[in-house]
Amino acid sequence: MSTTEERIRALIDDNLEIEGRPAGQPLNLEGSIVDAGLSSTDIVAFWQLVCEEFSVDIPAEDFAELLTTSDLIAHLEANAG
Amino acid sequence: MNVPSDLAGDWWQPFSTQDDVAVMHADLARDAANEQHAWAWLDASERHRAGRFRHDGARRRYVLCRGALRSLLCNALSCRNRQLALCAAEHGKPFATVDGKRAAIGFNVSHSGSHGLIALAPEGQVGIDVEERVPRRNLGLLAEAVLGPNEQAEVMAASGAEQLHLFLDLWTMKEALTKAHGMGLSMDASAFEIPPPLRRGSSRSEVFRFPDMPEVTWQLRNIGTDRFAAALAHTSDARCW
Repeated sequence: MSTTEERIRALIDDNLEIEGRPAGQPLNLEGSIVDAGLSSTDIVAFWQLVCEEFSVDIPAEDFAELLTTSDLIAHLEANAG
Repeated sequence: MNVPSDLAGDWWQPFSTQDDVAVMHADLARDAANEQHAWAWLDASERHRAGRFRHDGARRRYVLCRGALRSLLCNALSCRNRQLALCAAEHGKPFATVDGKRAAIGFNVSHSGSHGLIALAPEGQVGIDVEERVPRRNLGLLAEAVLGPNEQAEVMAASGAEQLHLFLDLWTMKEALTKAHGMGLSMDASAFEIPPPLRRGSSRSEVFRFPDMPEVTWQLRNIGTDRFAAALAHTSDARCW
């Protein structure tokens, strides 16, 4: 079974691009999601994809507080059903 | 204070003036001379921030927009660059200080692709957003996330370029409003809808009120072009300062 990190990596690799290149290459878990250069549309799409993949409802305000991929993984693991 | 609506720089020029809000367009295409010039305007923390971007394009857009913004603010506030500091409130909304004292000027920045827009208002709260008119992945997901039921129905009834055009118009108007409000992406944009005349394109400017803040009026404008969707939101209501 895939870990939370592997599922997040797959979501990023399969869905997010910056200037034609995969946004997550290389994925820096401690780097800011904003510093990856994602546009606001990419960030909102990523938020929706995470909610679908993990069957969770993360309010917009909470997602905006998750600054790094590492924060997001920790949040998902802490709130797993 | 003078809003420098007639002020052009090396890589920016006046785009429009709406009431007392001036909007500048910055050319964010690769240009070594412009990037070097812009870099000289940045303070140490901004250079550190620029160094954290993991993609060259994102770094270039940040540096060019920040350099232009600093130049414009120094002109508008009649101060030197070293006196000016750009700070962020809760949820990231930026504000300016001169010699440590908060300036009344309202400003906001957005960029997409090779386009940057900078809005300056002599007072009040302003929000701006720009999105290049290029196809987006996950359009259906985005529509579900940020559009109200009537807006979703209108976008889903359209197709192809018309669907993309309508979605980006709605997106930029909503983001301009949430940025002007101060919440930005933290606000649930699906909880309010853009006034129908703006959605239908029969008007380019309407008064808007947030459902949870009906006492405050915002002027919302579609300022997009064929190349990019863009919107501007502004209020002079003192209750929002």
